[in-house]
Amino acid sequence: MEKLYDTAIGVVLAIALSGAIFIGANKLFDLTRSRWAVFTTAVGALAGFLPFVLFAANDLIVDGVVTTVVATLIGAFTGFLLGTVEPPPIRLAIGSLGGLALGLLMGFQSQGVFGVTAEGVPVLLPARPALDPSSLILWSLIGLAAGGVWWVIRGRRGSPLRTLILWGTLGWFLAAWLIPDLVSGTRNEAMVAAGVTGLGLGATAGLNPLPNSNEQYLVGERSRSWIFLVPAMVFIGATLVIPTIRTIYLSFRDERGGEFVGFQNYADLWNDRTINVSDFSSMFTSQVFIWGVVVLVVGLLVGVATARRRKEGTFIASGASNAAMAGAVFLLVFALFSTLRGTVINNLWWVFTVTVIATAAGLAVAVLADRARFENVAKSMIFMPMAISFVGASIIWRFVYQAKQPTPAVPDGGQTGLLNALWVGLGQLSNSTTQKYIALAILAVIVVALGYVAMRGFRAGALGVAWGSGLALLFFGWFMYALLAGIGGWDPETGFATPLLFVQDAPFNNVWLMVVLIWIQTGFAMVIFSAAIKAVPGELIEASRVDGATETQTFWQITVPSIAPTIGVVVTTLIVVVLKVFDIVKVMTNGNFGTQVIANEMWQRAFTELNFGLGSALAVALFVGVLPILYLNIRRMQEGVAQ
Amino acid sequence: MTTLADRPLATETSQGIGGRLYRFLRSIPTWVLWVLVILWSLPTFGLFVNSFRGRDSQRTTGWWTFEGPWTLDNYEAILSAGPTGGLWQAFLNTLAIAIPATVIPIAIATFAAYAFAWIDFPGREWLFIGTVALLAIPAQTSLIPLLQLYSGGAHLTIPGIEKTVTIFPDLGLAGEHVAVWLTHTGFALPFAIFLIHNYVSQLPKDVFESARIDGADHFAIFWRLVLPLSVPVLAAFAIFQFLWTYNDYLIALTMIGANGVNLPMTVRIASLAGEFGRLVHLLTAGAFVSMAMPLAVFFALQRFFVRGILAGSVKG
Repeated sequence: MEKLYDTAIGVVLAIALSGAIFIGANKLFDLTRSRWAVFTTAVGALAGFLPFVLFAANDLIVDGVVTTVVATLIGAFTGFLLGTVEPPPIRLAIGSLGGLALGLLMGFQSQGVFGVTAEGVPVLLPARPALDPSSLILWSLIGLAAGGVWWVIRGRRGSPLRTLILWGTLGWFLAAWLIPDLVSGTRNEAMVAAGVTGLGLGATAGLNPLPNSNEQYLVGERSRSWIFLVPAMVFIGATLVIPTIRTIYLSFRDERGGEFVGFQNYADLWNDRTINVSDFSSMFTSQVFIWGVVVLVVGLLVGVATARRRKEGTFIASGASNAAMAGAVFLLVFALFSTLRGTVINNLWWVFTVTVIATAAGLAVAVLADRARFENVAKSMIFMPMAISFVGASIIWRFVYQAKQPTPAVPDGGQTGLLNALWVGLGQLSNSTTQKYIALAILAVIVVALGYVAMRGFRAGALGVAWGSGLALLFFGWFMYALLAGIGGWDPETGFATPLLFVQDAPFNNVWLMVVLIWIQTGFAMVIFSAAIKAVPGELIEASRVDGATETQTFWQITVPSIAPTIGVVVTTLIVVVLKVFDIVKVMTNGNFGTQVIANEMWQRAFTELNFGLGSALAVALFVGVLPILYLNIRRMQEGVAQ
Repeated sequence: MTTLADRPLATETSQGIGGRLYRFLRSIPTWVLWVLVILWSLPTFGLFVNSFRGRDSQRTTGWWTFEGPWTLDNYEAILSAGPTGGLWQAFLNTLAIAIPATVIPIAIATFAAYAFAWIDFPGREWLFIGTVALLAIPAQTSLIPLLQLYSGGAHLTIPGIEKTVTIFPDLGLAGEHVAVWLTHTGFALPFAIFLIHNYVSQLPKDVFESARIDGADHFAIFWRLVLPLSVPVLAAFAIFQFLWTYNDYLIALTMIGANGVNLPMTVRIASLAGEFGRLVHLLTAGAFVSMAMPLAVFFALQRFFVRGILAGSVKG
């Protein structure tokens, strides 16, 4: 509890402090409209305060607190004078003197003694440059020349003197502070180096004329956008932009981020564990592949048959043949992914399967639920898994997949997982005598009924009904055959249950893990599709029905094209979500049993083995994976802006 | 879409068993829908039932047998302190992470969304697109540098003089809740700015113009007009972000890591799942405790949640 109070106090303090800073900054810039001098005083105070805080924090000056206070006062006073005095020569003098004073203060207080590092190693602190007159003159001249060029390039805008002084000062700063050795100078050298820098910057400020009220307003306006943006930009920069750049940098370094190792980390990624194609040929004998080919042939035959019947061409892509061929392609890709093994392959398999099925299922549910009774109840039940954490969902499904091995005392294993209970029960049914024939009789009735309906639907011209019941007939027919031939988790020889190890048996355990994510993401797809379908103009659908289109035709030719952009959004969103799948794999298998994916591999390399180089390379692999999506999103945004 | 029943067919009017069967088949889509609904709810329902059954019942029979004895022991054990429980502490930790990680990004993102929508400055469009494009960047890309930042600060070595300047001090944030909020805040901002901007930019322009003529500055406009008018979208984002941070596993696991007393529920439960054999009967109750709050929020405020998701994706 104590911890919680601490946290609460921390939160309140942090929010109050950031709120105060934000409101303060806003109030500060409000001053630009009414009292300019107060504004310049505040800006001057900040100009004195910020650099000296930085110096003090890095131990570059002695008596940090006092010096910072003095610097703030000098800055505030200079700012106040610059906000009130009007004659240009006096302004120049004020600015120069103020800057000079700050510079001299910095130089005078510069730390010249030995400092001590955190480990207790004494070092000289770099606040006193060893000045080299020729270098100073040279760089100042270079600065002046660059300033002149810059002024011409900018179209001779503003005061040339101001530009020259600013650039000359930059040249001086370079020669005084960045080039020389910063530890071997004296206090006087430090005062010269800092004093001239301050003088130049102060003079630049003093050369600005006192702005009129309109200019004052503009200054306030422009800086206001920054006050509103800076907090967000700081966070985004610190948590997304800079870390991404650093991750790319680390991916070329060794495990502790030290030595540069070139592409070694990426080369290490390229092995049998990430992409393994050795078993490629066994794809052609796998069941999924054979089924895919069968369905493909069926689809082609249907297309040819349609063409024959309508007597046009040799092949017509009817709804049924399209559906069959889409299913076939899905099966063939599935067969490919299940025979090629490895982390990257798994990740692609996840992306393919979950995106396709969740999108299709979401669309199907959205269509089925549309205008159904209790539509909202049905939709919220399908949507509910979105509220559950991936960890919670994984645990829910681990219970569903649970398998218990049989013992002599409990031959069926006493299955407590729903799927294995069904599977073992099915096996017992298939190996029973009377029950089996009762089940077969029920199935036979269903098959006959379906056959009747298919025929009737065909005659009535309702092809959807005919095809639907025909497919169902095929399924039940197959099921009858399977029940006769023996199916399910029961071994009649030993009299023991043979439950399926859903989580352990490679490669299809990957699919059972994917089911968890499909379970979660279908609701997401459904909600978006449901809204999109409701947004399809009613007149369009009316018109198509008046023209005599069937439900199926209306769906494929009116609804689907109208929601095509939404399908694009759902697919890209899902790809990003699935690509970085982590929690489910981590909780269910931790990448064992051939279920490793990139995100989990990255986590293990980086945070259990502390190999930051390899971990970063894996993170970069994920990053590269989302780049196409990033590009698509930008394109979409640009179109949105253009509209 | 219209349902099949809207269009009469020849068969529909026919009497007898065939016609009746045909009508039954037409209602199949509705049946399929409800079968799907049941399939979707069954796993969660099973977990819920099991969480009230004792250890032995859970081990020997499936939840569908509804065999007792019914008990609250699992909940008691998992919530109490100790090696088998401690979920109450983890629940407090989850709140200590999720609440600030919801409030802070809302404030920051609303400022930025207002600036992008209503303050004119050069490069506004590009900065906005660039910001929102970061939405797709996976968290993994930032994890290693961020952990280094929290556990060691940020230092820049100036080449040549080999002097290291500290940009961000080592505050020892790794293992603390602060590290998790800061990370969540940064990661949430692109989406939050996108979502809130979509809404704020649609507010009527004349309201702002008349306010400006009356002498209100941006801050006053923001405080008195934009914030009150944007409550719906802020609520939508708040619910979305709360559920997201409450359910987060990856960032908490990485940033808090070994500091057991600060771990949120997701991490605690996932580590319990690692000991699946011994404490399996507690896991049902644990998972359900962790789900109770999001489910309550979800069912109570579903409309806002859906609105957030829709505004975030369809408008894109």
